[in-house]
Amino acid sequence: MKTKFLLSLIAVLIAGSASAQVKPEDAIKYRQSGYGFMAWNMGRIKTNVEGGNFNKEEVIKAATAIQAIANSGMGALYLPGTDKGKGWEETRAKPAIWTDKEKLGKIAMDFNKEANEMAKVAATGDAAAVGAQLGKLGASCKACHDDFRIKH
Amino acid sequence: MDNKAFRLWDLPTRIFHWSLVLAVASALVSGQLGGNLIDWHGRIGLLVVGLIVFRLVWGVLGSTYARFGQFLPTPARIKAYLANQWQGEGHNPLGALSVLGLLGLLTAQVLTGLVANDDIAFTGPLFDLVGKAVSNRLTGLHHLLSDLLIGLIVLHLAAIVFYVRIKKQNLVKPMITGWQEGEGKSASGGGWLALILALALAGLVVYGASGAWLPPPPPAAAVETPNW
Repeated sequence: MKTKFLLSLIAVLIAGSASAQVKPEDAIKYRQSGYGFMAWNMGRIKTNVEGGNFNKEEVIKAATAIQAIANSGMGALYLPGTDKGKGWEETRAKPAIWTDKEKLGKIAMDFNKEANEMAKVAATGDAAAVGAQLGKLGASCKACHDDFRIKH
Repeated sequence: MDNKAFRLWDLPTRIFHWSLVLAVASALVSGQLGGNLIDWHGRIGLLVVGLIVFRLVWGVLGSTYARFGQFLPTPARIKAYLANQWQGEGHNPLGALSVLGLLGLLTAQVLTGLVANDDIAFTGPLFDLVGKAVSNRLTGLHHLLSDLLIGLIVLHLAAIVFYVRIKKQNLVKPMITGWQEGEGKSASGGGWLALILALALAGLVVYGASGAWLPPPPPAAAVETPNW
């Protein structure tokens, strides 16, 4: 009995430390940081596609950064109740994020898919293909912005 | 030529109208689809800027029925129209309200669009003039107004159907041929000089809206940053 109790206590502690609870305010900050950092990298790819001097290394750096953030499990930052609150700025997360989970899940998976594909295409160094994939990736961002981000 | 017809819409007005139809339709589609089309959405927006400015100038310098003074929807005219006592050609007072509503709404759309951003990889050409916070607000407005715009367009189309079906009047044909059946005074005015002036002003404002005059960002090579 005592052992069982101790074991479950340890299990709880391990589980707790594996995903340490983030403060709501920090969660919103991390979210905004993630999206802002991805926006920087989206812009870098775009500049390379448009500028006429395509730099493969630069594009790979940007694409892998986006891929890493996309696969980081940002969903964990959408704590209950964080549809309100201030990170770097007031959050623009719509309450629907916490209710329309199925639709949002699909959109999120689609975004992950396109981000992974972006990294693959970047590795080929094919500027036209990178441009086309950037469009698909951007459209997957927009899908979420359209339905799950507050428009002031 | 049927002698019971008169010149209603001059050629520049008609070209303006159908160009605007194409531009707004493409803007709505490209705005909804996003992706790489967002860059085209921006370019089309600049075209709409030019078209609006052209129409505003043409509304003063253009030929008879294209002039705002001709169809200004004053309360007296609207009252007369609703009482079935309005007599005139061209835009009737209610139609004039729709014309001004559409022009006003499109003006708001291009103004907000020029400073908009999509939080992905697109910023309007004048984004730097207002900064991110204001841009976010105006982008929200841009989205809201697009719904209103679709509503007004539907109303515009419904009115055309209403005129064909109920009032037995085809409004589309004169907008294509320029000729209106029946008796009336043919449009006059709006010569070459007016046209050149309207086009020149439109071009000038499009240049301003394109942000081409803004100082370009320093070239990447000129800024020293660590290479890790």
